[in-house]
Amino acid sequence: MQANDSNTTWEETMKNPGLIQAICLGILLNACLIDTAGAKPTGPTMRLFPTTVLEDIRETSQVAEEMENNIQNVITRLDLQQQLFTESQCAGADEDPGCERIARQLGSTYLEMLNVMSERLPDMERAVTNTKTSLEKRLRTELGQKSTATSLQDALLGTVAQATSDESPIALRGRSGVRLSDRFKEYYDLVATRQTGNSQSLAVIASDIYLDMDEAARLIAATQEEIARATLMEQLNQSFGQITPEMAAVVSGVKTILFGESVDAPPVASVPFLAGDVPFVSPLEI
Amino acid sequence: MKYHILMVLTGTLILASCTTTQTVDACSVSLSSNVAAAMRQVEEKLSDGCVYSFDHYVAQLLDTAAENPDSDNKRLFSDFLVRVSDQGLISKRQASSIYNRYFNVKFVALTGEYNNCSQTCPVRRKVLADMQTELLDKELGLVRASQDNASYYRADHLLKETQLVLEATCRACEAGSL
Repeated sequence: MQANDSNTTWEETMKNPGLIQAICLGILLNACLIDTAGAKPTGPTMRLFPTTVLEDIRETSQVAEEMENNIQNVITRLDLQQQLFTESQCAGADEDPGCERIARQLGSTYLEMLNVMSERLPDMERAVTNTKTSLEKRLRTELGQKSTATSLQDALLGTVAQATSDESPIALRGRSGVRLSDRFKEYYDLVATRQTGNSQSLAVIASDIYLDMDEAARLIAATQEEIARATLMEQLNQSFGQITPEMAAVVSGVKTILFGESVDAPPVASVPFLAGDVPFVSPLEI
Repeated sequence: MKYHILMVLTGTLILASCTTTQTVDACSVSLSSNVAAAMRQVEEKLSDGCVYSFDHYVAQLLDTAAENPDSDNKRLFSDFLVRVSDQGLISKRQASSIYNRYFNVKFVALTGEYNNCSQTCPVRRKVLADMQTELLDKELGLVRASQDNASYYRADHLLKETQLVLEATCRACEAGSL
């Protein structure tokens, strides 16, 4: 009997299009509510990392890795020769034939490094410039032209307020001790994994990467200008077997760019602070 | 005769100076150490025509709150500002500006309705300098008066992120205009 009743009710329901519409609407509304509750508040949508930008970052990482692999051995040899030169107390001992031989070997390895650099830098320059240009365009459009100061503040504050402890800290500028290729891999992972998250932190990451790229592009251009001159100088030095402070400076610069062996300023962005209690909200708040 | 004139002038000057002193005294107030009571005192003064001293009163109230810190001070200031703006003594915009400057994480200095390339970037340095100054006011309002260190650190963090993002954005805007 109860089964019959329920059958009747189902049949009546099926015959009533208005009721079906109401049920469907209810289901849709429920779905919307559940979705809203479960989703993170994302604020204004910013398309800072479309696929093209992601590809540029990934390519830059690959080019950097190739360059590192090519230059790593040379740098290691240079370090060992430099160590030998210092430990043999060769500084200032221009007349010593042994020291002269070490100095020539050092100079030769230095030339090798310059050659590798001059071969690989154009690729690196192209990759960095592509990443920089594509990010520049996105930043200009999304944060420069589509955002106001008020909306930018809302977006950035959203990051600080909504970030939870299970999220990894956002990108930091000027990190030391990080290989260039690893840095790009980190950038890629950071951006790729945050594509579905809130867009606010992406504004900071995009700015971070862009400023890094701008700096790298300038460094690469300056290095390229220097390489031709340094090569010529070292070819001349080979005739006399001298170690110049300039050589040491160039090697140190290369190590800084590729392997991140310098100490930089503290990071700009760090783990967001979280307010524990429910804060008082004034009707006057902007 | 000259002696009489001199006496009259002296008397007039004394009277004039007394009058001036009376006006100043009428609006100056020694505030209670209780913040809520101090606000009531200020409201009375404002109702008596001392609106021109409003900024001075706010500074006094903030000092009083800093000497008697309490997490409830934020709400007290909000209520006070809403009341005086409802009474028409100050504008709603002024009330909002004061509250947000001292008690909100958001910066009054970083507002604008036009896009960042055209409005914010040309005055980026000034905006950031104003935000830095505002952060000091937030220290007074949030940390010293309301014991809300977490909100202050969020404001500090927001300022640092804004510096980074504006630097990048404005550089991108400049590159686009070349």
